[in-house]
Amino acid sequence: MTGTELAGRLLDDAAQVFRGHERAETWLRRHRERLAEPLRLAIVGPPQSGKSTLVNALIGEDVAPVVVDGAAGAPVWFQDGPRPSAQIFPAAWAGPMQRANGPGHTVAGPGVHAMGGVSRVVVDWPCRALRHTRLLDAAGVDGDGEVPADAMLYVTRHLGDDLTALEQVQSGRGVGALPVHVMVVLSRADETAAGRPDAILSARQIARRRRREPRVAALCQDVVAVSGQLALAGRSLREEEYAAVAAVAARPRADADAALLSTDRFLAAGFPEGLLRQFGLGGVRLAVTLVRSGARSRAALGAQLVRQSGLTELQASVSDLFTARRDALKARTALIALDRLLRAESRPQAAHLVAELDRLVAGAHEFRELRLLAALRAGRVTLPAELAVEARRLAGGEGTAHAERLGLPAESSPEQLWPVAEDAAGRWHQQTRAATSAAGRRAAEVVLRSCTAILNDLG
Amino acid sequence: MESWEAGPTAYAGPASPVRPGRTELGALAASGASASLWLDVLDATIRTCQEHGRTDLVSWLWQRRAQLLHPHLRVLVVGAAKQGKSQLINALINAPVCVVGEDRGTTVPTVVRHTEAPTAQLIVRAAPDTGWTPDAARQDSIPLALDRLADALTETVAVQPAATVERLYADVGVPRALLASGLQLIDTPPLPGLPAVAPAAVGRLRELATDGRADLVVFVCEAGRELSDAEVDVLADLARLFPSLVVAYTKTDYAAHWRRDLEASRMRLVQAGVPATVVPLSATLRARAVQTGDAALNGESGFPALISLLEATVAAKPDRLARATVGVLGRTVTERLAVTLRDDLDAQRAESETSHAVKRLHETQRRMDELRKCATRWQTRLSDEVGDLMSDIEHDLRERTRAVIARADETFTEADPARVWDEFEQWLREALLEVAQTSLGWLGDRAEWLARAVAAEFPADLGDVLPNWVPGVQGDASDRVTELESPPVERFTMTQKLFTGLRGSYGGVLMVGLVTSLTGMSLINPISLSGGAVFGGKSIREEGKSLLRRRQAVARATVRQHVDEIYVGLAKDAKDSVRRIQRALRDHFTAVTEDLQEAIIESLRSAKADAEREAAVRDGRARRTEQELIRLAGLQKQALGLLAGPG
Repeated sequence: MTGTELAGRLLDDAAQVFRGHERAETWLRRHRERLAEPLRLAIVGPPQSGKSTLVNALIGEDVAPVVVDGAAGAPVWFQDGPRPSAQIFPAAWAGPMQRANGPGHTVAGPGVHAMGGVSRVVVDWPCRALRHTRLLDAAGVDGDGEVPADAMLYVTRHLGDDLTALEQVQSGRGVGALPVHVMVVLSRADETAAGRPDAILSARQIARRRRREPRVAALCQDVVAVSGQLALAGRSLREEEYAAVAAVAARPRADADAALLSTDRFLAAGFPEGLLRQFGLGGVRLAVTLVRSGARSRAALGAQLVRQSGLTELQASVSDLFTARRDALKARTALIALDRLLRAESRPQAAHLVAELDRLVAGAHEFRELRLLAALRAGRVTLPAELAVEARRLAGGEGTAHAERLGLPAESSPEQLWPVAEDAAGRWHQQTRAATSAAGRRAAEVVLRSCTAILNDLG
Repeated sequence: MESWEAGPTAYAGPASPVRPGRTELGALAASGASASLWLDVLDATIRTCQEHGRTDLVSWLWQRRAQLLHPHLRVLVVGAAKQGKSQLINALINAPVCVVGEDRGTTVPTVVRHTEAPTAQLIVRAAPDTGWTPDAARQDSIPLALDRLADALTETVAVQPAATVERLYADVGVPRALLASGLQLIDTPPLPGLPAVAPAAVGRLRELATDGRADLVVFVCEAGRELSDAEVDVLADLARLFPSLVVAYTKTDYAAHWRRDLEASRMRLVQAGVPATVVPLSATLRARAVQTGDAALNGESGFPALISLLEATVAAKPDRLARATVGVLGRTVTERLAVTLRDDLDAQRAESETSHAVKRLHETQRRMDELRKCATRWQTRLSDEVGDLMSDIEHDLRERTRAVIARADETFTEADPARVWDEFEQWLREALLEVAQTSLGWLGDRAEWLARAVAAEFPADLGDVLPNWVPGVQGDASDRVTELESPPVERFTMTQKLFTGLRGSYGGVLMVGLVTSLTGMSLINPISLSGGAVFGGKSIREEGKSLLRRRQAVARATVRQHVDEIYVGLAKDAKDSVRRIQRALRDHFTAVTEDLQEAIIESLRSAKADAEREAAVRDGRARRTEQELIRLAGLQKQALGLLAGPG
């Protein structure tokens, strides 16, 4: 039985207990429905940190920010839908979106004041990336207090004071104790090192260094450097944009370099302003370098830009740590919600629910697997190469089915799986003793537990 | 500028807040009258602070004063994290002296100044509030490798014990013509909370400005955004300590629409009333220009403008800058002092309502009123109670004597007074005596109770006002209960009996004799004689009975009259007693009231005097405070005059 199923059953039990308690029932029903919905991924961070740009980069189009007239700052959800439209809550008023003068869209609400404020906006946008994940663009770390997200990308330019903010939202109890749902994104990577062509490279180095810092590691799964602007530019690169970049690259090197010194010079040299808006100066420099070094077509340049922007790395991280484990993360959200309800509304019939919840949380091995996967990614745990690969596989890094974990074909029978699993369990049991560092031992214990879980299931 | 270049480059005067003599000012006082004017105002401000006991302000102003007389211009470069503060300094002097880099920021303040040969050291100050000046007390100094200064600095700071980090600063000397004019640049760690929230940054910036002995503050903000609300707040606070600010708008090479943002920022500063010069800069372009020797690019970088601004400020320091600084300081300090004074004044006003003397006066007045009310109350009570007592005692006596009379009537309905008189008289006397004693005793009790009831009308806080003596009941009851003579008794003598018997028997003899005579017997025969005897006996018995009844009636009447007389006597005694008691109580309580009144009037008089004295003192103080405020206003006017003076 998977995490979501267990959590769903627990929520049903709770609904029985709280029958007649209107608010609790609504709360439970909402969370029960959400278990079947796509993963909710919040993109939060301080203002000007590049949240909307990252949303656009993930969607692949220029959608965000969506601003409702007279209600700037309301959290905005993006979900897959047949055609672009925006719904404004709590009025549940739906309307079309217009392109804004700057980036993003505006929604002209029918007298927002008459609606008594906007608690959130839900945008339908036809996009494949949104099919399994809903995105939230919100200012605070708390995001949308009414509809908490299952996972969170914390977007910041420099991970400085933000650490304190992250530490504060970390709930230190039960299900919420492990930060399996947080990933830090160092945004606007193209501006690093004064926007030199190797800006993103140095940003990546910084991210690598930061993710190994114990204080940072205790707060998030991973730290990734991304340039949302470049990623979006790459994904939505048009022919004329490619042509403009190529035109810059075609100039004599000295001329081009002089023009790329500053925005003023770039414009003075007669290059289009649109390019600057789309790429940023650092982006133009990188694109020019890429064209010079062999990206001879729109598609090639676009692909290169996306790769360079760090988006691929972010997507891989999100996919491995969030999307692939969306069941566990959604169960986690549901369990946190249930925990909160049980603490706020204690009643004698709920005693068995509390016990059940505690049992489920204590057995929440999946979260520890997620932490291990993140640690392996970030290099916080170092194992010998082949062991690291195996640990990743056994912990469900390549799929959570038994066969996938054991590295066997999907159609293998339990009789075929058993000896392999037993073998792995024995090997990792040894590893728990052989490990030289505390982190290595803990990692081996987690893998061993995964092996025994498979054996238990098979037996 | 020439005025001091001839003089010593290092300030030789004392650094501690000891007022240097005018002669020591030497060449500094080049612009003579003008310099002495701002010094006068500053000294007046310091004196005022001293008079107000604001030692904190005094020492701070002395510091500023020493700093103003110092020939160097110390420029503090501050701002949020990652805005390009260190880049700015490095580009300004074309040397990598400050720590730059994406993931390592400035951790300790760095002072960059002119020296003939490059030097660099990390200095541990003696105390956290010692300034970052070469002449300040230091605990230790660690030389830093010059060729890899930034790395060396980061590494050295990292190995310092955590407790000393607060006291660290780096001192870097480089031979630069720009710095040789007396300019010193100070790089600082990022201000906390910016650009989102201001309060933490405001406090930290004040510390930095004080410790750095800053003359000018350059606030750094990157292009590509406007100044945030928090940053404008920080600048507004800074404008209260420094006459002019410089906002360096960095990274203009990278931002596409920096001119628009710059204008917006300028607008915000003007709206907030912050006098700041906004300078667009690009450290990258400057570095590039220096590398390639490209003068046009250098111009584009905006640094020439900043350099000429700084040079002009260095030149203006002994005169215009100092004057403006003193003007701002005077304004700020007088405002701060005035706030305290005004608070003081308000507190005094509030105090006049709550002072001890006034409270006592009110209390005494209240007690006076109470006593007055109480006097009426106890008099009414006394007369009411006395009236009640009178009627009660009368009624009581009447009841009791009636009981005695009833008893006597009962006795004489059956008994023969002639026979039982002596016994009865004895009983009657005792009964009446008892009545008198009981009633009068009860009167005594009632009198005491009455005294207590009247005393209860006085406020409890006066203590015991009961008279220690209540006049007793006067008149001896035994005097009143006199002996009762036996009433005159009609005796039934033998002769009367005989006569009555004969009268009765005569009728009998006749009646029976007539009947018997019919039978032929004589009128007087034995039968008629015996009939006469029967009739005679009956007459005697009847006569005896009627006599007894008459005696009893007489006795009853006598007793009733006697008892009534005694009752009247007793009632008079009782009433007399009550009146005496009333008189005694009235005298006593009147005396008590008068005593109290006298005491209260006395304390009222003293309380009034106290309150008046206190009011006089308070008025005096308020007047002094107001005068002080007027003086402060004068000082502020002088300071503002400096600000507005000819530039």
